[in-house]
Amino acid sequence: MTTGIDPHLILHQLFSPAFPVGAFAWSHGLEAAIADGDVTGAASLQGWLTAVLTHGAGWSDAVLLSLAARGASLAELDDLARAMTPSAARRRETAEQGAAFAATANAVWGLDLPELCYPVAVGGAVRALDLPHEHAVRLLLQSFLANLTSAGVRLIPLGQTDGQKITAALGPLCVARAAEAALADLDDIGTFSPLIDIHSQRQEALQPRIFRS
Amino acid sequence: MERAIPYDTASLVTSRQGAAPQRARGHAKLVVRRRDAQSVISDLAMSGSAKLLFPRRSTSSLDAVMLNTAGGITGGDRFSYAATVEEGASVTLTTQAAERIYRASPGAPGYVRNHLEVAERATLHWLPQETILFDASALDRELSVTLAPGGRLLACECLIFGRKAMGEDVRQVYLRDRMDLRQNGKLVFSDRLRLDGDAQAQLDLAAVAGGARAMASVLIARPGASALIETLRQMLPECAGASAITEDLVFLRIVAPDGFMLRETLVPVLQELADGPIPKTWMI
Repeated sequence: MTTGIDPHLILHQLFSPAFPVGAFAWSHGLEAAIADGDVTGAASLQGWLTAVLTHGAGWSDAVLLSLAARGASLAELDDLARAMTPSAARRRETAEQGAAFAATANAVWGLDLPELCYPVAVGGAVRALDLPHEHAVRLLLQSFLANLTSAGVRLIPLGQTDGQKITAALGPLCVARAAEAALADLDDIGTFSPLIDIHSQRQEALQPRIFRS
Repeated sequence: MERAIPYDTASLVTSRQGAAPQRARGHAKLVVRRRDAQSVISDLAMSGSAKLLFPRRSTSSLDAVMLNTAGGITGGDRFSYAATVEEGASVTLTTQAAERIYRASPGAPGYVRNHLEVAERATLHWLPQETILFDASALDRELSVTLAPGGRLLACECLIFGRKAMGEDVRQVYLRDRMDLRQNGKLVFSDRLRLDGDAQAQLDLAAVAGGARAMASVLIARPGASALIETLRQMLPECAGASAITEDLVFLRIVAPDGFMLRETLVPVLQELADGPIPKTWMI
């Protein structure tokens, strides 16, 4: 425990867009979903993000963070997180953000996290700093959605206010999923999001493309 | 007690209502080795409702056809197939028919545990026909593959949610479908499909499957597999994708409105990936 510092302030720092993990470079395949005409406006963007949270990597990441924060083996969770990525771009997305997160957290708080996939690295830091893990999962999900929303705002394009409305509307879902993740175990990890997977594969071949996934 | 008679869908659903549950069991094990230029059976064991048939071969590779004599899978059933391909040998496994996952009474899902081991310079093609999930079905399935360095794997699993042409609704499903690949003791790929509740409503979501009722997942693991990626991308329609996750690992996902349209995309892809004939059961 880092004495004297409000754990919520540390959490907000970890999930702030200013924390240098390079999240802005990754669209999780949304760029291809927009290019293919599957996401065309605020309503379809919200639907796509809801699917990421409900059926996609949002849920798996929530459980991975929660398990890491509850003390499961970081190396095993990392192998699984890496193995579950359906495309090279999605593998780089979680691996590179995780490595950057670990490097910064190690330097700032004196931790010794190895290079881990993003949700596992975050869970490792949450455990090492004794931060409230269910709150960490909520913030992980919200920052993930907010980053993708901002990608959508630029690509579709949408107004900034529309983007903020989507982030606000999905708040309750972040809270609900975090509560479920707090009780989940390894076997609860899984997705059913074939088109989200397909879009991340198709994004790799998109010309031109702005995002790295 | 074993069920030995193949059921059609209608009679199965009717006969099961109110009847005491009968649980099917089936286990089969196959070891393939190389003898001169041919791949031959080195060990074979079968019990219960799991059978392996060996049609007349047309190449030096061995063809094995899996047959579920219970005619489908329902809650509480347990099936497993284990296949080992020894150094330099080659085998293609397929199924005699699409596997049908029938209405399960609340409680246990049907369990399927398949294990494949591929040695150095050995080849294994895992090409079962489609798995059809009916309303109120429950399936917990794992395909776990151990691949030695230099081994070659092509694995495809297809899921069909009801038969669209028959107007079948699939409202309630419990699905856990896992495909794990291990190399040098390390998990290198894992597909973990997890679907609960109203399958149709979820498949209809634009971001999930856009109304598709069929999907395929294909894994290719062999040295230099990534060289296939441009060819594959040329073959795929908009509702499909392929990625070279590493230099030696390619993964594809395909969705389609129904099983027929899935095959239209999938069969040419499998022919390209198999480097030879694919099982006759796969020809449209």
